[in-house]
Amino acid sequence: MNAIEIHDLTKSFRGMYALNGLSMTVPQGAIYGFIGENGSGKSTTEKCICGHLVPDKGKITLFGKPYTDAGVRVRVGALIENAGCFPSSSVYSNLMMQAINLGLKDRNGEIARVLKIVRMEDNARLTFKKCSLGMKQRIGIAMALLGDPALLILDEPINGLDTDGMRLMREILVDITKNYGCTVLISSHILGELEKIATHYGIIRQGKMIKEIAASEMDSRSRSYVSLKTRDMQTTFDLLRRVGYSVKFEEGEMRVYDIDDTARLSAFLMQSGCCLSELKKHKIGLEEYYVSLMSGKGAV
Amino acid sequence: MENIKTLQFEKPSFFQRLKGMLGVDFYRLFHTPLFYIFLAIAAIIPALVSMGAMGEGETAGMFSNAWQIIAAFKPLYIIRDIGEYANMNMVFIFGGIMVSIFIGHDYRSGYVKQLFTTHAKKEDYMISKTLVSAFSMVCMCFTYLIGGMIAGAATGLPFAINAGSLLCAILGKMIMSLGWASLYTFINIIFRRKFGISIALCFVLGTGIPVIGAAALLGNTAALNVFLYGSSVYACLSANFLSVLVCLACSCVWAIIYNVLGSVILYRRDVY
Repeated sequence: MNAIEIHDLTKSFRGMYALNGLSMTVPQGAIYGFIGENGSGKSTTEKCICGHLVPDKGKITLFGKPYTDAGVRVRVGALIENAGCFPSSSVYSNLMMQAINLGLKDRNGEIARVLKIVRMEDNARLTFKKCSLGMKQRIGIAMALLGDPALLILDEPINGLDTDGMRLMREILVDITKNYGCTVLISSHILGELEKIATHYGIIRQGKMIKEIAASEMDSRSRSYVSLKTRDMQTTFDLLRRVGYSVKFEEGEMRVYDIDDTARLSAFLMQSGCCLSELKKHKIGLEEYYVSLMSGKGAV
Repeated sequence: MENIKTLQFEKPSFFQRLKGMLGVDFYRLFHTPLFYIFLAIAAIIPALVSMGAMGEGETAGMFSNAWQIIAAFKPLYIIRDIGEYANMNMVFIFGGIMVSIFIGHDYRSGYVKQLFTTHAKKEDYMISKTLVSAFSMVCMCFTYLIGGMIAGAATGLPFAINAGSLLCAILGKMIMSLGWASLYTFINIIFRRKFGISIALCFVLGTGIPVIGAAALLGNTAALNVFLYGSSVYACLSANFLSVLVCLACSCVWAIIYNVLGSVILYRRDVY
């Protein structure tokens, strides 16, 4: 069963189309990275799924049921734009309100559980407005996690976070999908971070889905290369070409494509008398894939 | 994706959903200063009005009975002096401001997103806000009553009145809280992103100016009882059981109308 299925979703604001026939499928249990430029329609899609916006047309189903089904929606947790907390209330009070809203029985136990997941056990009494940006994002996730959600919708949850904050957020997201079986729809501009956790990607442009791809499929399609620096670059280039390596000069460096065994290449260059000063292995990842799609060059 | 769970979705009943929404609203009401500030305001108003009644200005001598601070003697929609106007109906003016702030906080904080994400049925929001706002205004009526009794005693005016009529007047005004609460909730749904307009409109309608204006044109007709302000004035010191029934009918009918209209708007328009 798919967690989210969207067909031909259209939403306009005063004649301007934010979504223009968007279709997407998020498999159950996936961490679905939702990627697109600013204004491409990511947040609008998420708001439609959460019932904040009324679509002009189209169909949204969550776990096989209409998105307006009260039974499904009570199992959706969302962090869209901000945590949606009362600034003058404490972290605990904000979580308590959401626990009451969801009709949870062991409210204190649930609050303690989600605070532990987001590593905020010691900050429950802190007033929300006194929390740092990273803490606010984690509180937003804690709010979304209350009540055993089946689907989490997170809009740019790592924006504005420092390196430690991003790492922590990544750990939390992997933890909740692995241990709680939650499906996560996450939009982000920070593709490097997304690449570390996502199992599926959806790339949206001008309100339309232009590509949906599983991370495993993208991995198998991706090419790897080795960048080289030697004392005599031209000689090395000619030598590698002569023996059949796929070698190119690109972006000011020499690149040898589709290399599995870098040790073997390095040994060959040494034996051939090339004085190797630098050798780095690279993989064409999500960012390059995204750029190539956006520039209309097609998939890498 | 090896850890896919078999999911079961239990559809919550209307009462379960409403219990959750009401629970949040009451929690907020009792855990933030807003409610207590307005209870205090409601208690202070009669004291201020009484001070005016005892003073030497234009308002001096406007009351002849201490209970006039709760309601006028007769259902007069045309205002001749401030003494016929300054009574428990003022709770509905301040109640409107309180409801606007209460609902406005939902939107300004973004908490409304959590509510609408987990509550697919938009009527839950309308009903819950109406009931909590009505409860707040009933509480304000109580503190107004206490403040009025103390202020009345301080003025030294007589308390002699028909107890049944007084009870009907107080009960009638408390019942009207439901209708007023639904109106204010509805206004805040329409102008949910325009906090200033909501407060201003609630204030203007709470003062009863449209009905007072209509009375100036049409005369002191009982037909004005179909409006919230009209029925609120009808609950006066000469009220009887029929007056309470009129208030109940007016309040409930408007509450249903505003709740239905508000829910339709929430279903058809973007909520955030």
